[in-house]
Amino acid sequence: MTFKTRFIVVILIVAVMFILHNSFWLWDLDSQVPLLFGFMPFAYSYYVGYALLSLLAMKVIIDLAWPDPPEDVTEQFTDKEHSKQ
Amino acid sequence: MINAIGISILLVYMIILIAIGVYGAKVSLKTSEDYFLASRNLGSIAVFMALFASNITAFTIIGHAGFSYEIGYGAYGYVIGWSIFITPFTYYLVGYRSWLLGKRYGYATQPQVFGGIFNSKLISLLFLILLLYYTLPYLVVSIIGGSLALSTVTEGLVPYWLSALIIIGVSLIYTLPAGMRGTVWTDIFQGTLFLVVAIFLLSAVARALGGFSEITHQIVLDNPAMLERGVSPELAPINWFSYAFINSIAVIVFPQIYTRILAARSSINLKRVSLYYPLALAVIFGVSTLMGVWGSVAIPGLAGKEADNIVPLLIHQFLSPFWMVVGLVIVLAIVKSSIDSQLLAVAHLLTDDLFPRLKKITSQQAVFWGRIMLLVFAAIAYYVALIQPAAILSIAGFAFSGFSVMLPVMIGSLYWSRANKYGATAALVFPAIMLHLWYLRILPQWTTFGFMPVFPSFVLAIITFVVVSFLTPAPPPDQSKKTFGLFDRVFK
Repeated sequence: MTFKTRFIVVILIVAVMFILHNSFWLWDLDSQVPLLFGFMPFAYSYYVGYALLSLLAMKVIIDLAWPDPPEDVTEQFTDKEHSKQ
Repeated sequence: MINAIGISILLVYMIILIAIGVYGAKVSLKTSEDYFLASRNLGSIAVFMALFASNITAFTIIGHAGFSYEIGYGAYGYVIGWSIFITPFTYYLVGYRSWLLGKRYGYATQPQVFGGIFNSKLISLLFLILLLYYTLPYLVVSIIGGSLALSTVTEGLVPYWLSALIIIGVSLIYTLPAGMRGTVWTDIFQGTLFLVVAIFLLSAVARALGGFSEITHQIVLDNPAMLERGVSPELAPINWFSYAFINSIAVIVFPQIYTRILAARSSINLKRVSLYYPLALAVIFGVSTLMGVWGSVAIPGLAGKEADNIVPLLIHQFLSPFWMVVGLVIVLAIVKSSIDSQLLAVAHLLTDDLFPRLKKITSQQAVFWGRIMLLVFAAIAYYVALIQPAAILSIAGFAFSGFSVMLPVMIGSLYWSRANKYGATAALVFPAIMLHLWYLRILPQWTTFGFMPVFPSFVLAIITFVVVSFLTPAPPPDQSKKTFGLFDRVFK
C-alpha cells in the first residue's frame, strides 16, 4: 500500500472520529441509558469511551502512516548525534 | 486557615522548583538552541509532560468546573471531546513534519519553519506578528485567571496583585536561568503533581459527599437536566460543531506547544506522546467536570462568575484545611506550568526571529537577550494583568480562534507542494481580518450563518490559500524540493 493510500485511510479515521464527536442523534440516550458504574451518565461515559477509542485510533494511525526517518535522512540532521532512534 | 503543615508543603514545593532552576542552569550549555530548545534532546516523558502541562491552564480546574456546574455533564464533550482525539492527531499531522524540517534545517520556531518553506521573509514576519499578537493577550489572561484562582483559594489572604507577582516571580526563578530545560523539568514535576493529586482530590470530595453513586443519584433526583445535552441552549448542535474549531485545533499553533515538539529527541518520542495524550486530557478534564457537576447539587445557587469558585468552595466546605493547601499547590502548578512556557515562547520568538532582522547576534548573545526579553515581558504582563485594559481582554476573547485560523496555512504548507507564498500571505491576513470584523461586531452576525466566527474564518483560510496559490505562479522547483524532497524520503 502506498503512503498516499495509507494517508487516505488516516483521513477516513479522522472523519469517523469527527462524526462520532458530533453524534447529535445519540443525545436522546442521555436520559435513557442507566448510569455506568453507578455514577457516569451517558453524556460523560460516552467521552470516556471516546478517549479509549482515540487511543486506539492514534495507535492505528501511528502504525499505518507514521514512518521513522530512515538513516540517510537522520544522517543529515543538524544534531544527528541526538536523533538516532 | 493555612497551618504549619500547609506552610511546610508550600515551602517544599517552592524549594523543589528553585532547585530545578539552579540545577538546570548548571547543566545548560550557553547556546541559543540549548536555552530555547534544550538542544532538541527531550525524551518521551519530558515532551509529554511539557506539552500537557503547557496545554492545561487555570481554565481547566476553575473555568471548566464552573461551566460544568452550569451546563452539566455535557460540558465534558463540548469543551474537550474533540480535543481528546484531534489535539494529539495534530501533533502527527503538523508536528512531525515540522520536527523533520527543524532537525534537518535547524528551524526553531514557526516563523523559521514556514518562512523557510516558502523562502519568504514576509511569511516569517506575518507568523511572528500574528503569534505575538494572539499569545500576549492569552498570556495576560492566563495570569489574570491564575491570580484570581490563587486569591480565591486562599480566601483573599493572598490579594490579587500579590498572587500575580508570586506566579510570575516563581516562574522566572527557574525559567530565567535554565530556559526550556527549566520549564520542562518543572513541567514533569508539576504535571505529575496536578494529575495525581487531582484524582485524590476528586476521591476525597466524592467521599465527603457520600460516594460516587450517592452524589450522582442525588443529581438525577434534584437536577436531571444536568444529564441531558439537548436541554442546554449553549450546547446547541451548531455551537457544539463550531467549538470543535476553537480550542482543540488551536493547540498545535500555540508557539509554546509547537516549539516543544521541535525539541523532541526522536520520532519515537512524538509517537508515544500522541498515543497517550488522549488519556491525560480525558482524566484531568474528567475530574474537573465531575467536581463542577457535583458542586451544582452540593452547593446550589451559584450564578455567573460565582460558579467558577466551585472547586475552592467544595474543598472549603467539605474537606479539611490540609486539602485547601493541596488545592492551592495544584492551582499554582497548573497556572505556572502554562505561563512559564508562554513567557519563554514570546522571548524566543523575539530573540530568534525579530532581533536577527535588526542586528546580527551570536548564539551566546541570543541567550543574554532571551533572558532580558523574559524579564521585560514578565514585567509588561504583570502590569497589564493589574490594569486589565479592555482592548487586551477583547483580543484574548478570540485569541484561540485566531490561532485556529492559522492552521490551514500550516497544514497546506506541509502537504501541498503547489502552495506558494502569495496564497499563504493572503490566507494568513484575510481570515484574520474577517475574524476581527465578526468578533468586534463590525459585520452583522447573520453573515456567519449562525456558526461561531471561527468556522467561516477557517473555511475562508482554506479557500483563500487554494485559490490564490492557483492564481499565482508555482513555487520554484528548488524551493519545493527542499521541503518535499525530504518528506518524499520519509513518507514512502
